Amino acid sequence: MSDARIEITDLIVRYGDAPAVNGVSFTVGQGEHVTLLGPSGCGKTTTLRAIAGLEEPSGGSIRIDGATVYSAAERRNVPAEKRGVSMVFQSYAVWPHMTVANNVAYGLRVRKLPKAEIAEQVDRALGLVQMRDFAERSAALLSGGQQQRVALARAIAFSPTVLLFDEPLSNLDAKLRVEMRVELRALQRRLGVTSLYVTHDQEEALAISDRVIVMNVGGIEQIGTPEDIYNRPKTRFVADFVGSANLIAGRVKNGASSAGPVAFDAAGGLTLQAWAAHAPRGSEGHVAIRTAYIDMAAGGPNGRANSAAGTIRQRLFHGDFIQYIVDWAAGELTVRRPPTELFDEGAAVTLSFAPEHCILLER
Amino acid sequence: MARVHPAWRPGSQGIATAAILVFCGGLVAYPLVYLIAEALNVGESDVFPPSEYGVGNFVDLIDDWHVLANTAFVACLATVMAIAIGFLAAWTLTRTKIPGRPQLERLMQLPYYMTPLVGALAWSILAAPRTGFINQLWHLVGGGGNIVNVYSPFGIAWVMSLFEGTVAFVMISAAMKSMDPALEESARVLGAGKWRTMLTVTLPLVMPGVLGATVFVFAEMLGSFAAAFVLGIPGRYVVITTAIWQAVQSFPPDYPRAAAMGIALFAVMFATLSMYRLIVRGGNYATITGKAFRPRTMAMGRLAWVLFAACLTYVAVAVVLPLGALLLTSFQRFATVILAESQLTLANYQTALGFGAVRSALTNSLVLGVGVASVGVAVMTVLVWIIYRSKAPGHGLIEYVVMFPQAVPRMVFGLAMLWAWLNIPIPIYGTLWLLALAYFTVMLPLGVRTLAGVVLQIDKSLEECARVCGASWGYQLRTVTMPLLRPGIIAAWLLVFIASVRELGVSIFLVGPNAKVIAPSIISAYVSSSSELSSALAIIQTLAVFVALLVLFRATRRFSGELT
Repeated sequence: MSDARIEITDLIVRYGDAPAVNGVSFTVGQGEHVTLLGPSGCGKTTTLRAIAGLEEPSGGSIRIDGATVYSAAERRNVPAEKRGVSMVFQSYAVWPHMTVANNVAYGLRVRKLPKAEIAEQVDRALGLVQMRDFAERSAALLSGGQQQRVALARAIAFSPTVLLFDEPLSNLDAKLRVEMRVELRALQRRLGVTSLYVTHDQEEALAISDRVIVMNVGGIEQIGTPEDIYNRPKTRFVADFVGSANLIAGRVKNGASSAGPVAFDAAGGLTLQAWAAHAPRGSEGHVAIRTAYIDMAAGGPNGRANSAAGTIRQRLFHGDFIQYIVDWAAGELTVRRPPTELFDEGAAVTLSFAPEHCILLER
Repeated sequence: MARVHPAWRPGSQGIATAAILVFCGGLVAYPLVYLIAEALNVGESDVFPPSEYGVGNFVDLIDDWHVLANTAFVACLATVMAIAIGFLAAWTLTRTKIPGRPQLERLMQLPYYMTPLVGALAWSILAAPRTGFINQLWHLVGGGGNIVNVYSPFGIAWVMSLFEGTVAFVMISAAMKSMDPALEESARVLGAGKWRTMLTVTLPLVMPGVLGATVFVFAEMLGSFAAAFVLGIPGRYVVITTAIWQAVQSFPPDYPRAAAMGIALFAVMFATLSMYRLIVRGGNYATITGKAFRPRTMAMGRLAWVLFAACLTYVAVAVVLPLGALLLTSFQRFATVILAESQLTLANYQTALGFGAVRSALTNSLVLGVGVASVGVAVMTVLVWIIYRSKAPGHGLIEYVVMFPQAVPRMVFGLAMLWAWLNIPIPIYGTLWLLALAYFTVMLPLGVRTLAGVVLQIDKSLEECARVCGASWGYQLRTVTMPLLRPGIIAAWLLVFIASVRELGVSIFLVGPNAKVIAPSIISAYVSSSSELSSALAIIQTLAVFVALLVLFRATRRFSGELT
């Protein structure tokens, strides 16, 4: 990618002897919003901090805007303050001993800009986050949501080309988080700033990203658009961690070896019509079926592909959807249906799902 | 992005770390090396470096077995009493419902600011045989003999335990406060009664804290000088610190013997404090999270008033009574409690504030206090930052080096400095500069600990954010770290100031004719048998300390309010 703003190659970061990040490579393009998604301890925050210059890696290289800021081979490590990136911290890190305006002006003052320009940029940044009225307020007196906005204004005030976010919304309450998500996405689009975002919240990652990088135990599981990640998970980890899915073990029929439709033998003598995004490796494997992609109807089999009989064992009412646990030939299946489709526990139903929603996983 | 920094280049932090290690390491270790060399000197006692080395001085310590036995006896006695006071007070103030708890908690810390020297002086006025106020009153009502005698091992232990009782109280109540009440509540829910819960849950969890306090207080007792000097010498009861003092004061001075005793004392204290660290670390069950809980308190009924009275009595006996006696004495020509015979005078204060030598001691103490606190705290702030925040190699070692003086008895360190600087061709012996250097070294643990408490509370990302915004290390320290540390810096400044103004152990060997300070002057006034003048000096010293203390309380209350 020629317009890459951030290029990470074979990055390794160790804490003591244990690698927290183990050979990670990816790029973030100009104006792109990429999210590192994974459970705690997967190395996503460490990767972000290494890019900011707050952790020292032990291998690989990091390039920002075409300049090498870290390279193990060249023994080069540019300190954080010289990298020209900006960052929003999980704890906001709003300095309590300064006013809101002084917080926001900090990066501009460090760069020794003329006073008039500082005032102008501070005003612009506070305007973007709708905090203009709070400029002279002491930062110690702000609510969590307001601190969040100040942290954001401070991060964008000196017009950085790269913006890093370390779980910026995780300390907000649920409702505010959803609101800020929308605002953050709008702001990012408007400024066209390249950003790398870290979160463990898969909903957040899918909602605000151009691309998502799913990480697990120090490595990358999958890189793709949110739709890609959701509809065509590559690994069991991704299928399980992002959204909710049924994982069914079995074997690929006839040893098919090219991408495209495949037949898949599951337990209980069922043969499923599945989809392989990549040529299957070996015959043992799993398919993933999103719980939301399974149709359920009363009555007998309807003759479509992947249709089978089942019995509802349990029903959990969630409000926005209803979750059913259904017994069928291959064991049990979790199905989520809109609250408009109500079935009773113990009812006999016919399950069906499209072959392109039954994804053969690589591992 | 033209500027590139190679990964292994020693940055400003690395250079600062190395410089600090060399400087502080030198300050701490260098005198001790001299002291060890002198302790092994079996040749001419006043020739340095020694012409002959041997362990003879240590072997001779066996002849001083009664001194060692005295030391152990007084230390054990005082420790038992101090822990009893501390435990009872801690339990009362954290676990029972008693009236006026927050005020009591503050009051209970006051005895710590009465130094053992002031306490011993006051109690010698109160309870000396024949002339002590208590005995005077006893004779007045027709009693014969002495009802109390503070010139005894029990007197020394009594005064020391009044002082160390507060230390034990603070340490034990910290352990009690850091226990999650849910641990006790779950025992109750599972059916254990009040006493069963106490025996099976509370006590085992608090035990490491109590044990730690015991060992810590014992180590402090071993190295204490003032009370043993003021109360022990008249009754010819000699402990190791006073024996060191006598060896140095004898003519000719027996430096090798003093050094050998000093090294022996240091070794025992070091071993004891190592044990303390082991206990505190080993006792770190999951309960001690550093988080303060609000423990459940028990209703005590009428007993609450008894406990309340006990706490007040402690404060009265440790602070009010001694200060009263000193105040009265300082205004008299001859110390007496029988007011009819009293001749009131301002002469003692006139001497204290007018007489050249005494006045210069007062001024010197204040100058040293302000100077050491100002320069010292600035240096300590950088030190603390490097210890807890820097990633430069060697930052862990710095912590060890700066906390090391804690393991060296003040007296022994003073002796070591004396010996080292007598033999170095830099002419600062007998000047305030040497005292300043010594104060800085021995105050390192106090200042660093106080500042560390605040540094650790500051969220790391507040500083990281400054770096990412483009600030250099120096700019970040100036604009973010220092302002956030301000309450800690003020507290550390005042504590170091207080500690300097009352310093005795190191000063006593390092004062010279032109460099006197207040605490040793109190001692010499006392030796030249004027308890009236020394009372006036003690009152002035205590006043300076209490003024600083008031400022501290006000400042920390305001700043803690600002921080939260």
